[in-house]
Amino acid sequence: MTRRLYARLVLSLLTGVCSGGVVAATEGDTPSLRINGFGTLGVAHSSEDEADYVVDPFQPDGPGYSRSWSADVDSLAGLQVSADFTPKLSGVVQLLAKQRYDNSHDVSAEWANLKYQFTPDFSVRVGRIVQATFLYADTRNVAFTYPWVRPPTELYSLVPVTHNDGVDAQYRMQFGGIVQKLSVAYGSVEQGLPDRLGGSETKAEDIFSATSTTEYGATTLRISYLRPHLTIGAVNPLFDGFRQFGPEGDAIANRYDPDGGHAEVVSIGASYDPGQWFITGEWGSIDYNSVFGKNDAWYLSSGYRFGALTPYVTYARMNHHGATSDPGLTLSSLPPSQAGAGAGLNAALNDILGNGPEQRTITLGLRWDFMPNVAFKAQYEFIDRDDGSPGTFGNLQPDFEPGGDVDLFSASINFVF
Amino acid sequence: MRRFVTIPLMAIAALALQLNAEATEAEVVAVVSADNPIDSISRIELTNIFLGKSGSFPGGAPAQPVDLREGAQSRVMFYSEFAGKSPAQLKAYWSKMIFTGRGQPPKAVDDGNAVKQWLAQNPNAIGYLDNSLVDDRVKIVSVE
Repeated sequence: MTRRLYARLVLSLLTGVCSGGVVAATEGDTPSLRINGFGTLGVAHSSEDEADYVVDPFQPDGPGYSRSWSADVDSLAGLQVSADFTPKLSGVVQLLAKQRYDNSHDVSAEWANLKYQFTPDFSVRVGRIVQATFLYADTRNVAFTYPWVRPPTELYSLVPVTHNDGVDAQYRMQFGGIVQKLSVAYGSVEQGLPDRLGGSETKAEDIFSATSTTEYGATTLRISYLRPHLTIGAVNPLFDGFRQFGPEGDAIANRYDPDGGHAEVVSIGASYDPGQWFITGEWGSIDYNSVFGKNDAWYLSSGYRFGALTPYVTYARMNHHGATSDPGLTLSSLPPSQAGAGAGLNAALNDILGNGPEQRTITLGLRWDFMPNVAFKAQYEFIDRDDGSPGTFGNLQPDFEPGGDVDLFSASINFVF
Repeated sequence: MRRFVTIPLMAIAALALQLNAEATEAEVVAVVSADNPIDSISRIELTNIFLGKSGSFPGGAPAQPVDLREGAQSRVMFYSEFAGKSPAQLKAYWSKMIFTGRGQPPKAVDDGNAVKQWLAQNPNAIGYLDNSLVDDRVKIVSVE
């Protein structure tokens, strides 16, 4: 039974590939099956010893406390297989191997979707699809496609998920030389959290997103809106705890629990790249409508191309808004037997509220295109955390002191084939 | 003393003249099939077609770009002059398109003669070649 199903699947895939081949022959031998790959081999070193430099919450550890030099921040390998089944129906699978939340390096399906091209300007995709909020989000894992070692952490950490399972539709319009693309998407995604954040599951469901991309010659403008319902397993015990403390505890839980509503992300980004040089900047904001408050971030980056060498400089800023402390449960009104538990919950709540990420980073770097499909990059980042803030750092140790500045050195080799 | 300065200066001037002569000698032009009604196109519309951002000529007729193979001198000149992209930047651009699942580079042929053959068989196609290779099978499209 299963074998017959499998045989039928292989047969239909083969038929698809063959008919694609036939069509391709009449259209001018467009390959019906394409295999492309990409990869990055990178190392990073941080001068901060009591915390790890992490670019998103899913990264289990990084350079700093866990190790002096880490190859896991940027290193990855990807393989993409695309197939044209008919002139209108195509499919793509992108497999990605990189450090995962559980510290394994297992291969996972980054994308797996089918696209139906109704007209040359209108297409619909179903399956696992890229989460393309920011300008460089489409190819976030393909470092060869952007100038830096990695997109600026301040902004890109606002939306750490790179794909979701669902459906998207894209419509393209043209006015003279202006190309205007609109896309809307709906889906959900689940992602495990590393042990340092309690090891539980985090979910983004009921994700609606809309993106407008306008291109005119060397200028690109993108405006995005994203509205996910977030469930962050790591904070569930905290709010379950508060709910055991009657109306006052319920009120606190309802005010701060992410489960109560949707988070909202808005962003706007532009780039101008006439060839000899480039300038790009983006601003984005996420309102968690929960204990995590509201973060916004922006960056401005520019570089000049001297032949194969592209030196660049970036300034990035991240701000946190929202309550930085809360009186929590009124301990004096609790029976002595419960006051200890109440104090513990208050401390845990204030620990989250007080650790909003606020920092700025100045980056100096160099990209060297030493082969047509291989680039070498080296960059230095001066990360200046606001007073009292851990910034974007994670895995904070007992001796960690918030605020202060950190030197981060990174080097990577990026390739595509 | 003065001679030591003059000689290198003259050498630089000669080199510059030579480079300049080479640059004007080889000229890359955008071409379509002789049957194609299109006469002119804006620089942005032209690069939109070759960068996969647009699938049609101004006016709406479908447009099929045909490229020269990677490394061809006319290809380097075409993209540098009209799109402001070096071979490395073009590679990065297409990597971006491929790895968004949103596009593939145009079909590439070996040389200018192959471009002419291709255009003769594909009335919707647009290509580019060294202007010394232009003959009555193809029509130069003026880029504004």
